[in-house]
Amino acid sequence: MNWIAVGLAKDVPPGVVIPSRIEDTEMAIWCTPSGRYHAWSDRCPHRGMRLSHGFVRGETLACIYHGWQYNQTGSCDYIPAHPKLTPPDTICVPTYTCVEEGGVIWVSLNSVDDPLPVLGARVPVRSVPVSLSAKDVAAHFGAAGFTTIAVVSDYDTLLAVQPCTDTMCVLHVLAAPDADRKEVSRWVEDLRTTLEGVPA
Amino acid sequence: MSAAIDNHWYPVAMISGIDAPRETLLLGKKIKLGREDGICWVKDASGTPLPTVERFGHLWTSPGQPNRDLFTIPEADSPGRRLVDVGSVKVKCSPLRAVENFLDIAHFPFVHTDILGAEPHTEVDRYDVKIREEVDEVWATKVKFFQPQAAKSAAGGITTEYMYRVPAPTCSVLYKTCPPRPGEWDIITLFVQPLTDEWCEVWPWMALYDDDSTMSEMVSFQQLIFMQDRSILENQLPRKLPLDPGMEVPTQADMTSVAYRRWLKKIGYTYGAQLVAA
Repeated sequence: MNWIAVGLAKDVPPGVVIPSRIEDTEMAIWCTPSGRYHAWSDRCPHRGMRLSHGFVRGETLACIYHGWQYNQTGSCDYIPAHPKLTPPDTICVPTYTCVEEGGVIWVSLNSVDDPLPVLGARVPVRSVPVSLSAKDVAAHFGAAGFTTIAVVSDYDTLLAVQPCTDTMCVLHVLAAPDADRKEVSRWVEDLRTTLEGVPA
Repeated sequence: MSAAIDNHWYPVAMISGIDAPRETLLLGKKIKLGREDGICWVKDASGTPLPTVERFGHLWTSPGQPNRDLFTIPEADSPGRRLVDVGSVKVKCSPLRAVENFLDIAHFPFVHTDILGAEPHTEVDRYDVKIREEVDEVWATKVKFFQPQAAKSAAGGITTEYMYRVPAPTCSVLYKTCPPRPGEWDIITLFVQPLTDEWCEVWPWMALYDDDSTMSEMVSFQQLIFMQDRSILENQLPRKLPLDPGMEVPTQADMTSVAYRRWLKKIGYTYGAQLVAA
């Protein structure tokens, strides 16, 4: 599995952290104030608290439980209970390769150097969860994979599909820049209804 | 279940809240409890009566043969204290995670912001921790922390002193500086009923010196604190408490939790614990 879309940049502005997942890998996706995106394991190594409940402070992500701060490489560089201590390098959060391109946040769990999916001139519209696996969505369109699926419509639509569970995925929808967003949004709702009616 | 787990006393109800007979879970098994002619009873699923103790406003029982009496808190009997039944909160976490969180002060500025702690007062000074072999309890003493509003009765920020005691695997007693009466300790307890190994019912109980607050104000204060804790407890991974080192990283501020985990391991209390790194 190479690049997977995990969210749209406009939904994760600078200073925000959200939970996300690719199959069984639960992640905290966050954006630094300077606009860099990160995807980390959603677990603070101290006490196992979800980092997606944490807060962005400066260029670090802080855990909500004890305020431990992790720098951009995932290493802990501040423990509030011991302000004078330099934390050992061994305290770090597993990180995944993450980039923002074309308004989409992409993650690669196996850190491959594959080129990013080609989006053309399309722009992101919205993300919708669908009660169907990513594989079944790909099968519905007769597509070989689900990273991106071009779907014929009046809006030059492209779906970037995020696999979540055996019965759930998220569609990140892109469309032609001049497409009416409300119309695309209605098209997406209809698509969701169709897909959720597909026998698994 | 092993004797090391069964042979303890567990809280299962607030006595004042028992009316009609009802069912609950203890260690994953159904039990039934009620009150007749003022006496509380507990039965297992087959209808066999289980031993009971009524203490600290709560009903306690055991599915095994407890080899010692339910612990006591002699200080709570001194006159002038107000005894506060806080009620109960069900939490989707291991009962041991709930106790461990109660033993932790370093989270106060971040989880109980502007109440039990506030930045920049985040530092945790060294304190004393000991497993008291003669009573088989974990004790932490000389724990000090700056608190903006230590209790309902506190007028402003003070450095509070704490003592923590773990007299049973799913119970903890906190002795805390009493704002209106320097030299005395307020007592706040956390009694945890293990419904299953990943689901618990928490019964806080307090014995406070506070002549001004109403009962409902004291209850609300403690409930607010515990609701904030619950938002943490239901989001820790794994839900069970890891007893083996390696899965989580303690620091000096976590000495009480390190001693608690070591003690659980020593007495073989593994219900709600994760023994092997997943």
